[in-house]
Amino acid sequence: MTKHPHLPPVAVTAYQCVSAAGDDVEALYLSLIDNQSCLKPLRLFDIPFETVVGEVTTPLPDIRTNLKEYDCRNARLALKALNQGGFRSDVERAIAKYGASRVGLVLGTSTSGIYDSENAYARFLSDGVMPGDFHFLQIQTAQATAEFLQRELELQGPCYGISTACSSSAKALGVAQRLIAADFCDTVLVAGVDSLCRLTLRGFHSLQLISSEACRPMDINRRGINIGEGAALLLLERPSADNAARPRLLAVGESSDAHHMSAPHPEGAGAVLAMTQALRLAGREVGDVDYINLHATASILNDQADARAVKHLFPNSPPCSGVKGLLGHTLGAAGAVEAVASLLALERGFLPGTCGLEQADPNCPCPVIASPRLDIAPKLVLSNAFGFGGNNASVLLEVA
Amino acid sequence: MECMSLLGFGACAPDSEFRAGLPFPAFDIDRDTIPPLLRRRSSQATQMAFSAATVACEQAQRSPKTLPSVFASVAGEIQTTDLLCTELVKPDGVISPGAFHNSVQNTAAGYWSIAQQCIQPTSALAAGGDTFAMAILEAWCQLACLGGELLLVCYDESWPKYLAPGQGEPAFACAMVLAADAVEGGVLSIGRPQLGAETFPADWESLAASMPVLAAIPLLNLAAQGGETQNIAISPAASGWQVQISPCSIMQSSL
Repeated sequence: MTKHPHLPPVAVTAYQCVSAAGDDVEALYLSLIDNQSCLKPLRLFDIPFETVVGEVTTPLPDIRTNLKEYDCRNARLALKALNQGGFRSDVERAIAKYGASRVGLVLGTSTSGIYDSENAYARFLSDGVMPGDFHFLQIQTAQATAEFLQRELELQGPCYGISTACSSSAKALGVAQRLIAADFCDTVLVAGVDSLCRLTLRGFHSLQLISSEACRPMDINRRGINIGEGAALLLLERPSADNAARPRLLAVGESSDAHHMSAPHPEGAGAVLAMTQALRLAGREVGDVDYINLHATASILNDQADARAVKHLFPNSPPCSGVKGLLGHTLGAAGAVEAVASLLALERGFLPGTCGLEQADPNCPCPVIASPRLDIAPKLVLSNAFGFGGNNASVLLEVA
Repeated sequence: MECMSLLGFGACAPDSEFRAGLPFPAFDIDRDTIPPLLRRRSSQATQMAFSAATVACEQAQRSPKTLPSVFASVAGEIQTTDLLCTELVKPDGVISPGAFHNSVQNTAAGYWSIAQQCIQPTSALAAGGDTFAMAILEAWCQLACLGGELLLVCYDESWPKYLAPGQGEPAFACAMVLAADAVEGGVLSIGRPQLGAETFPADWESLAASMPVLAAIPLLNLAAQGGETQNIAISPAASGWQVQISPCSIMQSSL
C-alpha cells in the first residue's frame, strides 16, 4: 500500500549507457536478454596476473579542442554515452525548457581519470616532470568528468562529484533527487562513470578479491570479482504532464555499516538499513517490491551479506539477480549502470538473470534467478550498491 | 526550510604559522581524536577531518554517533593515491591492500562512521574550486529534504607539489554541525545558497585559490566574531555562490 512519500519522486526522462555490452542501451538490453558474459582479457594495459574485465573496446570520441584539459579516458567514456541515441538532444530540450542555470550535474565516480594520471606518472618517473598535458584538477580529482560534461553541455546549475567508492553513482541519484526537491534544479543529469585503471585492478588483486576467470555472482564456487568500466547517464526531471509516461525514481536509501573499511557487515545490517530507508522515503512496503537488482559482486563475503540482508528484510523475497557477470563491476559507475539495467527491466518487462551462476550458494539465502525471465514485468525495483567504508545505497525505481 | 543553524564548528590547521593568522580558533591535529589502531595508518587528511569534526561535535554538544555526515574535499586521500600511482609504474612496485582501500575519497567518512559506530548515511563529495560551496549546498538539500541535523566536514591535506604547481597548500580542515531551521543554541543562521554578485574577500582570495576548502574562512570568521546580517561569498571560483549569514534569532530573543 502506498503511504505518503517523504520525498517527491522524479521522472527519469532519458537514460544511456556505454559498457562492455556495447555502445548504448539497446546493446545493454540485448546483452541482458542474451545473458552471455561480455568479460574478456584486458587489452588496455598490462597487469601481472590473470583476469578478465568488462572493457569498452569500441573507439572513444575526441574531446573538443577548447576542453582539452579534461581529456582522459573517463571523460571520453562519458562523451561517448552522451552522444548515443537522442540523449544529448534530450538534455538540450531540458535546457531550452528550464534554462541552463536550472540544470544540475552530479557525477558518481570512484577513480575519475586516474588511468591517465597513471600514464602521466610513468612519464614523471622517467623524465622527472609531469607531462605538460597533465591537468590534475581537470583529470584526476573526483569532480573532473562532472565539470567536463557541464562545460560540454553549457550547463550552469550546481555541479559536483560524489565519490563513495562503489556506491558513488547510486548516491548521486539521491543527490539529484534532493536538488530538485529543494528547488535548486528542475532537472539534473546524473552520470556514473568509471574507467579501467591499474590502481583498481592491482588494488583489488592485493586484497585477493580478483577472480582469474569470469565471475560467478551468488554461485557456491565463486572466486571473486572482475572489474569493468562504463558510463551511464540518467536525466532526472521534475514530474509533469509531459513526462507522465516516464519511469520514476522514488527514493535512494542510504546508510553506513560502521563495521570495516573493506569488508561488509557479515549480516548485511547496513544494507538492510539502506533498503528500509529507500522504502520509508518512498512510502512503500517490502511487499510492493517485485524485483531486486543485487550488488552481487561475486566476492565471497559481499554476496553473503547481500543475500542475508534481503532475507532479513523480505520474508517472501521477490526474485533477485545481479548483472556483474555480464559487465564486470563498474565500481563508481555501478549504481548508475545498474539503475539503467533496472529501468530497462521496468520499461521492457523482463527480469535480468545472473550470468555465471550455476549452483546457488546455500549461504546466500535469497531467491536468485540464473536466467532472464521474459514472463515477468516488474513494476517496482530495488537496485543496491554497496562500497568501501561500509557505504550503502539502495535505489527504488517504479514504472510509469 | 528558511535557514540552517550552525550549532558548533571546529578547525584544524597543522601549519602553526598559518594557524596563528586565522581569525577563529583552530588547532593542530589532535591524535586523541583518532582511535589508537588508526593513528599509524591514517593520513593527514583523515586525521585533520577527525580533529575538526570532534571539536565541532563537542561545541555543538551532539553525539557524533547520531549525525549523518557529508565529507567534502578537493583531492581526498591524495598523499596515499600519489604513493600508489608511483608504485604502479615501477616494474616491482608494491600495492598494499591497506593503502588501496585507504585511497578512496570516502576514507575519512568511512573511518569516521566506524570510529563513532554511526550507521547514519555519510557522503564524500568534490567540486574543485566550488567544493566548499557545493558542500554547503549538499548540506542544505539534505536538511531541507530530510530535516534534523548533520555534520559537514571540509578538508584537504597538502598535495604533492608536482600535481598542481602553486596549489594544494596549506592543509586545512573545518567541521560544522548544522541543523534544519532556526533552533535553540544556534551560533549563526545560514541562508539558502544562491548565485550572486558577492565577491570573495580579497584578504583570503589567493589562499583560497590555492586551497579551495579555505573558502570556509569568511563564514567561520563570522561564526567566531559575530556580525550583522550580510551576504558572503562561499566560493573563490567564478561561479558566484553566496549565502546570507545572520545572528541566530532564537539565541537573540532569549538574551
